[in-house]
Amino acid sequence: MSLEFLQAFKFQKKNTLVHNFDPRAKLLCAIVYSISGLLFVDILPLLLIFLSLIPLIILGRMVKEWIKSIRGLSFMILLIIVLNTYFLSLSYAIAMILRICIMITAFSIFFLTTHPNDLALSLISMKVPYPYAFSFSLAFRFVPTIAIEAQNIIDAQQSRGYEMQQKGLINQIKNLFPLLVPLIICSIKRAFNVAEALESRAFGSTNDRSYYYTIKYSIKDWLFTIYLFILLIVVIFVRIQFGVMPEWLHFILPV
Amino acid sequence: MSEELPIILVKDVDYTYPNRTVALKHINLNIYKGELVGIMGMNGAGKTTLIRTLNGLIRPLKGNVYIDGENIKSKNIGTISKKVGIIFQNPYHQVFSNTVEEEIKFSLKSLNLSKEEIQNRTNDVLNRFNLEKYKERSPLNLSGGETKKLALASIFCRDPEIFAFDEPTLGQDAKEIDFFVNLINKEKDRGKTIIIVTHNIEFAIEHIPRTILMANGNIIADGPTARVLTNEFLVNKSSLILPQIRQLNIALNEMGIQCPEEINSISEMTHFLTNYLKNKSTKV
Repeated sequence: MSLEFLQAFKFQKKNTLVHNFDPRAKLLCAIVYSISGLLFVDILPLLLIFLSLIPLIILGRMVKEWIKSIRGLSFMILLIIVLNTYFLSLSYAIAMILRICIMITAFSIFFLTTHPNDLALSLISMKVPYPYAFSFSLAFRFVPTIAIEAQNIIDAQQSRGYEMQQKGLINQIKNLFPLLVPLIICSIKRAFNVAEALESRAFGSTNDRSYYYTIKYSIKDWLFTIYLFILLIVVIFVRIQFGVMPEWLHFILPV
Repeated sequence: MSEELPIILVKDVDYTYPNRTVALKHINLNIYKGELVGIMGMNGAGKTTLIRTLNGLIRPLKGNVYIDGENIKSKNIGTISKKVGIIFQNPYHQVFSNTVEEEIKFSLKSLNLSKEEIQNRTNDVLNRFNLEKYKERSPLNLSGGETKKLALASIFCRDPEIFAFDEPTLGQDAKEIDFFVNLINKEKDRGKTIIIVTHNIEFAIEHIPRTILMANGNIIADGPTARVLTNEFLVNKSSLILPQIRQLNIALNEMGIQCPEEINSISEMTHFLTNYLKNKSTKV
């Protein structure tokens, strides 16, 4: 088993338009797209919203990483198809998959293109207290580290005969304990170590901090924000008027 | 020895990580049954990657690994780990059970043994590792050294043919290192093959007869430890430093005291210096 897909949420330094957007604009983008995704339960509107994200992925040169993040969801996608098709319909199942893909893609764009420090700065500029903003950015900074640790745990357990694949749902859940318990213990240990290291460097001793880097909302960020607001207004309008929208927008699969 | 088939045969193995880090380049290696081999080199040289290829945790992109004459390419990790037991650096990566005893039994579960046999092996290994008094205790309440012992015990109880240790002396005190040395020597006497990845040059020169030196994914030297680790060129190339005994040897020769080059262990040096000082005092 590989936890490579977690790498899809790791910041990668590149010089692209999307990387250069202000982190607040990108956070707004993730929120607007997630709200848009939650407003519909029909295939076509969701597909259109999803397709409107593709140019951002291409502009940010992160197609490979994005595919990894979607591939990491394959188990969940399979579960959604089976459960929804069995209890509701295939059209609904596809719509739900599109909804999840929109949300994952939107946040994946945010995390792949935003440095954890910029994330903290954007939160601080939104009046979030520094210790909380720092903890939040630190949590994301540790995602790849935890992925590596999880892989090491899998390797250590497999070396003493642990088998990943087990038959039956209960056995599969039971089988997670040898992986989850060490992972949680190591994460707690690391959290204590980080806290001690921070305190030994006088973290939080003063409330007035200055920052080496500052973030600025430029014209391109304003243009992107206006686009996002227009998108949100259009999406809300379509949702309210959905009943009188053209027939093709209500398309459902014949099965 | 050359007539005998190696228990580990690594043939033209290449491996590159998904992030494009080249870890192993055309590795060829023979290790024979009953050998005690050290793998040394700087960080990122490919040592840990190499031992991970031995039980299939890492599948080479090119080349093959043969264990006991069998190509492990098509074998699953469960099957290979019966023959090759790897003991990792961080013991906290594996402890999860409620008690020390259960932790050992978990390792035996996949061997299809009878309940009686599992209990016998558990008791035996708890006894050998002085963990009997902790058997009802949670592994999370053990000290660092005891947890490391438990991690060792949970592989030793499986009785594999090959043991591979990743940095076994890291963070261990002198007594714990002594315990470990006794343990591996006993296993070696039983004909087990032992591979130790280490940065501890003093430990290697004292206890490991053969050393493989790695740098940038290549094997740059393979031979008797005393010869490999006293070669200044090789040692510098691997970001290591000469063993203290070797440094003392050079310093003594520079002072005009003729110390034989083949003296590489503490006991040999003690013997030499005692004799030298005795002779000197007699002359005076």
